[in-house]
Amino acid sequence: MQSNNGYYGEFGGSYIPEILYASQQQILHAFEEAKNDPTFIAELKDTWQNYSGRPTPLTFCKNLTEHFGGAQIYLKREDLNQSGAHKMNNVIGQALLVKRMGKTRVIAETGAGQHGVATALIAARLGLECTIYMGAKDVKRQYPNVFWMKQLGATVVPVAEGSQTLRDALDEALRDWSSSHENSHYLIGTTCGCAPFPEMVAFFQSVIGEEVKEQSMAQFGQYPDRLYACVGGGSNAAGIFLPFLDEKVEMVGVEAGGKGLELGQHSIRLSHGLGSKGIAQGFATMFLQDENGQLQDTHSIAAGLDYVGVSPIMAHLAQIGRIQMTYAMDDEVVDACSLLLKKEGIIPALESSHALAGAFKDAPNLPKESRIVINLSGRGDKDIFNVAKAMNDATFPEFLEDYLADYKEHLADNQGEA
Amino acid sequence: MSKLANYIAEKRQQKPILSMTHVVYGYPTVQESLDWMATLLEAGADFIEVQFPFSDPVADGPTIVAACHGALHDQKLTVEQCLTDIGKLGRDFPNSRIALMSYLNPMYIYGLEKLVKRCAEENILGLILPDLPYEQAGELRAYCDGNGIDPVWLVTPVTPKDRLAFLASEARGFLYCVARSGVTGNSKHNGGTQQSLDEYLAEINSHANAPIGVGFGIREKAHVDALKGKADVAIIGSALLDAYNKGGKEEGLKLFNSLFNS
Repeated sequence: MQSNNGYYGEFGGSYIPEILYASQQQILHAFEEAKNDPTFIAELKDTWQNYSGRPTPLTFCKNLTEHFGGAQIYLKREDLNQSGAHKMNNVIGQALLVKRMGKTRVIAETGAGQHGVATALIAARLGLECTIYMGAKDVKRQYPNVFWMKQLGATVVPVAEGSQTLRDALDEALRDWSSSHENSHYLIGTTCGCAPFPEMVAFFQSVIGEEVKEQSMAQFGQYPDRLYACVGGGSNAAGIFLPFLDEKVEMVGVEAGGKGLELGQHSIRLSHGLGSKGIAQGFATMFLQDENGQLQDTHSIAAGLDYVGVSPIMAHLAQIGRIQMTYAMDDEVVDACSLLLKKEGIIPALESSHALAGAFKDAPNLPKESRIVINLSGRGDKDIFNVAKAMNDATFPEFLEDYLADYKEHLADNQGEA
Repeated sequence: MSKLANYIAEKRQQKPILSMTHVVYGYPTVQESLDWMATLLEAGADFIEVQFPFSDPVADGPTIVAACHGALHDQKLTVEQCLTDIGKLGRDFPNSRIALMSYLNPMYIYGLEKLVKRCAEENILGLILPDLPYEQAGELRAYCDGNGIDPVWLVTPVTPKDRLAFLASEARGFLYCVARSGVTGNSKHNGGTQQSLDEYLAEINSHANAPIGVGFGIREKAHVDALKGKADVAIIGSALLDAYNKGGKEEGLKLFNSLFNS
């Protein structure tokens, strides 16, 4: 979706400290050139295919469809990307752009760690230095991802300021970029931030929707009737929705309802009047903020949806009514995750389980001949600890205790050799 | 001519360089921050740059970030009360001036038109909003022009030459020259300068229609002395806050006096 000079309706724009002006202009021009350069596009497609495994399948879910007795349910399998999430589509695109601009280092913010791991993977492959900013709370919640980032050679910096989550990581990444812009690129993981990041990330993610177009025509001879995607920053939703904007396709975005609708308990920015327009972190969008314009804490069981702002593209499409916005509560999300596991043998990320939960509510009431596609943006292996806890699995603590005892013994035994 | 620029020009007749000291409103409490501002004004600070805290201050380093978060931690700060408080302070110290610094969002939520009107009423003549670039500030500029308030533009050592010339020519009250890359204060995110500060300031001086203030990285008397004859105002922020955090008003005042009164 082309922006109007960086704006989508009244959202977007470029509100950055003056120190970043030249770097931002450089990205703006480099992206404009690259997207019109067949060599760049060919390299992008080649890397998507041979490194990340694209195209990802469009999977029909027979058992779920029978279970609900309504719409025919399909999943777009972004969980099968290298790194296990749609994040890979964007990092490949931006990292190739970094090489093109002649920069040698990438900085990224990460919430759940998926974007951090994806960035660390591509940085390793392309020989780029890599620094990942991650809220100190998220470092604790998602340690397995931190472990992999470090193993991949990235420097992981826990951010202990503020709420110690994604938005603080984003602030800190911007601060790094303010001093390192000459050799570093800020590799934003979602369709947020100053222009041209929302447009650029949406461009790289649109491969999702483009593939769904081809695959739906091939599998059932027409486009789907409805699309579902979870909305954190908004990149997987932008990816599957935008190619269908001019088609007769309904689109539903699902935000994190968290534990309840009180401020601080959820991440619902685009419906039910909970968010309001603000200008921060480089762009104008709907934020969760108080009456004095201070951004507020958010919550979701899925760290990747736990963000105070949202893509200006999503904010605009929601405002003009082109997409419908709804939300799913933490417990509904765990139920949806569980249902997909049992019915289809697929382990969804908790982020993506929001899209499932939203679709499962509608599916029984939709006509049998209608077809819906849910964007399964990531796989759930990474969530094993949180899902076990949410499902009140009684044997997991025993495993952890035994494993820890064994681990410590192993470390003690090997200390002499080190 | 700009009231702010006039004030600077007149004061510069008596002093080789003016002082602008930065204080975070509400840190550690509203009253303590106002007392600290009054102390600096009594000691002869020509300007106070009052920062209204924002939850996500992306252009600031750890010292100021911590103060902003501290100020917001267990009290609700309003722009309205801040303007009233610092307006009164300005009237108590008529030989000095107060500039308001913040990030765009709290000001946007308060209302830009109301903000500028209230600033005019309280004699807050300069507005510094580091995340509002010139191009995005059309609305604010119009309100400011109608009320005799000056939005303060920032330039940096990496601002392209043609843009630097443009921003310098657009400056009214004063032009805020960032002395180095990075964020405010001592931080791991500090870049060096590519060119010497002298060359940078000479380039700016050749275009500027307004007085020049220099900030970022000013911590010692030598830094202030080096600006004499090349700039009009030395802006001191994080170093002063570091001193204040270390030993309260006494330590802060010691630093201020060593930089400007010795």
